[in-house]
Amino acid sequence: MQEATFLILTALAAGTQHGYGIISDVADISGGRVKLLAGTLYTALERLRTDGLIGVDREEIVDNRLRRYYRLTPAGEERLAAEAARLHSHATAALRRLNLNLAGGVA
Amino acid sequence: MSDRDEPALSMSESASLERGYRRLLACYPRWFRQENEEEVLAVLMTCAQEDQARPSFEAAADLLKGAARMRLRPRPGQPRTVSAAVRLLYLGALAELGALLTIIASAGTVKAAVAHGDPAGVPGASGRILVDEILAPVVIVVWLCLGWAIGRRRDAARIGVTAFFGLITMTMLAALSADSPVYATADFAAGMVLWLISLASMVLVFTPASNRYFRPESAPMVSPAG
Repeated sequence: MQEATFLILTALAAGTQHGYGIISDVADISGGRVKLLAGTLYTALERLRTDGLIGVDREEIVDNRLRRYYRLTPAGEERLAAEAARLHSHATAALRRLNLNLAGGVA
Repeated sequence: MSDRDEPALSMSESASLERGYRRLLACYPRWFRQENEEEVLAVLMTCAQEDQARPSFEAAADLLKGAARMRLRPRPGQPRTVSAAVRLLYLGALAELGALLTIIASAGTVKAAVAHGDPAGVPGASGRILVDEILAPVVIVVWLCLGWAIGRRRDAARIGVTAFFGLITMTMLAALSADSPVYATADFAAGMVLWLISLASMVLVFTPASNRYFRPESAPMVSPAG
């Protein structure tokens, strides 16, 4: 799973979000490192909708502009949980080895 | 933070920026625009900077990249067999273009080789190369048109794909029965690749899933058991 996709699903894990909300949340989650542009966001959202990982929750008109809210589907939650567990496992392995190497270097 | 309003833009700046974004969004396929254009535009306008009157280069490049990706993606409801056939037909155009460039690049070498082995055969070889150079662009257009029409669910295009496969098959058989020129091996290999692509495309557009897509009304009805 690409990083942008992972971050979009993570943004939606806390609740429904509209397009600009996802962009802001992804920037927050990544500490400002990932700044999604609209073209990238909607390419990802369209793919995630096709794959059944997200769905449209509701639509609103705000200041004469369409605002569509997205939510994670059960399949999306499952996929995000699996990906998070995989990344966590890799990160844990990396940190454990670094600690071992550091301990070996000191000893 | 996520409820940010659109930045303060003058009427002319706002109208100019929106026009610029709409021009870029026009590059997306129609089905995507019908579904998402107003929403994407709302996000783009919210992300705009104060006093911005034109799309930034970064946003424009991102939208164009998104449009290209969306055009290569299967349309909603399109079975994988049909999208695979569309990609194969476009691949056929690309392969044909490669063959044409090879013919143009190697024409001099081929003529020299023919002249070395059989000087009397030079006019025939030159004529054959010229015919290839004229026909190849036409064939590229046919590949592209078939890919376009299949992607747009034109049922008649399936007949076109079949006829095109028949034409390529006959061309291959005719080439095999004729005396082989000096460049026969490479020519034969290129012909085989194109023949296989057209065969695979034809098979894909006539699978049961494709049949249901092109002719939903004639799909066999499943009668209830008992």
